[in-house]
Amino acid sequence: MLITKKTKLAEVIHQNYHLIPIITRFGINFGFGDKNVEQICEKYDIRQDFFLEIINAFNDEDYSPINKLQNLPLEITVSYLLKSHQYFNKVKLPHIENLISKLEWTSAENKKNKSILNKFFIQYRKEVTEHTLHEENEVYPFIIEIEKNYNLSQNNIDFYRLLEKKSVIKYAETHDELNTSLLDLKNIIIKYLPPSDNIDITEQILNEIFDLEKDMKDHTDIENSVVIPVAIKMENKLRKRFNLK
Amino acid sequence: MEKVSFIIAEKSFVIRTGLMKIINSFTETIIIKEVTEYKTIIKYVNKLNPDFLIINLKFIEDAYDDIRKMFSENIKTKFIIFTGTKRSKEHFAYFDEQISVDDDKTTILKKIQVLISGIIPYGNEDNNELSEREKEVVKQIALGKTNKEIAEELFISVHTVITHRKNITGKLGIKTVSGLTVYAILNNIIEINEAS
Repeated sequence: MLITKKTKLAEVIHQNYHLIPIITRFGINFGFGDKNVEQICEKYDIRQDFFLEIINAFNDEDYSPINKLQNLPLEITVSYLLKSHQYFNKVKLPHIENLISKLEWTSAENKKNKSILNKFFIQYRKEVTEHTLHEENEVYPFIIEIEKNYNLSQNNIDFYRLLEKKSVIKYAETHDELNTSLLDLKNIIIKYLPPSDNIDITEQILNEIFDLEKDMKDHTDIENSVVIPVAIKMENKLRKRFNLK
Repeated sequence: MEKVSFIIAEKSFVIRTGLMKIINSFTETIIIKEVTEYKTIIKYVNKLNPDFLIINLKFIEDAYDDIRKMFSENIKTKFIIFTGTKRSKEHFAYFDEQISVDDDKTTILKKIQVLISGIIPYGNEDNNELSEREKEVVKQIALGKTNKEIAEELFISVHTVITHRKNITGKLGIKTVSGLTVYAILNNIIEINEAS
């Protein structure tokens, strides 16, 4: 289904509940009655074109938002990415960590299983936090700065100095490591940990990990195919303007 | 595990989506390219060297017997022809398999299964047990050793260590050092207090 501005938000969730975290990430709370996307976006002061691209991209793997997102201000996309970071670090990961800490085994191995699983997850959380912090403190501000200067009619000497030292290209890295750790965690739980006493919690953990994986994939897709390439283009034009190599 | 790779050359979105859904329903497969234009088929097949090319008959009308000559001799690709309606088998002697729009679900799934097992024989996956040597490598990784240190410890080359690591990851589905450490502890390859 293609979600349009006339689609009722309640219908959107009935049709695909995986979109719930995306909707709340925009600050939209429940109880929206029969309001459609257009009305909701107006109420919450959300850019409708951006919201539609993101929600459709999450809803349908074959929907490609790239072209349209590339034409929207990077600032908007970046502020969305920041919200996803918060969601990963403040909501999703602590929740999974909490679930993991609840796993119990009756066997003598209980302490060992708990300890290695917790350790693995804490290490993973640390990697995610480091990665997102790096983006928040280094990458995103630089990209916003590029866009700002790109839109300026006159050259800014301070930014010229910055461009002499820095380039977006070096940020065009992959996020393979983080994704690999999640894959490992899935296999550890599915295949190698002995069956725990609380199968219901194991089930929740796995569901959460699969959700997180998809969410992070869409997140990095937006970074790799929208934010970085557009920023590189702007930077190259700025370099020409500045006569920099 | 190495996956069986497919390129799908099909103009119609409806049919392409259907073919992809069928191929993707097998866990051993991966679609590495969708091609919608005739002129790019040869380029992508020669470059990506897939296990299979599924190609619509319309793309090669009247040139069946030349199909192989169209591509580089160095590719391993097997050809699957997709036809709109049933045609007599003899026309397709140059192809490894024929899929028709009229095939029912079971027929088409069986055909694909046979093709896949030609690449990955049945039972090949069963042997996911680590060898003694691989266990030794897992142990060293979990102890926090680098490839070079492992090579010295086990009197093998760094290259061999890397090959072992690849095989271990293929067998276990675990790649990171932290993940392998968890595996090693769970399987008593190392003690928890030895872990790096």
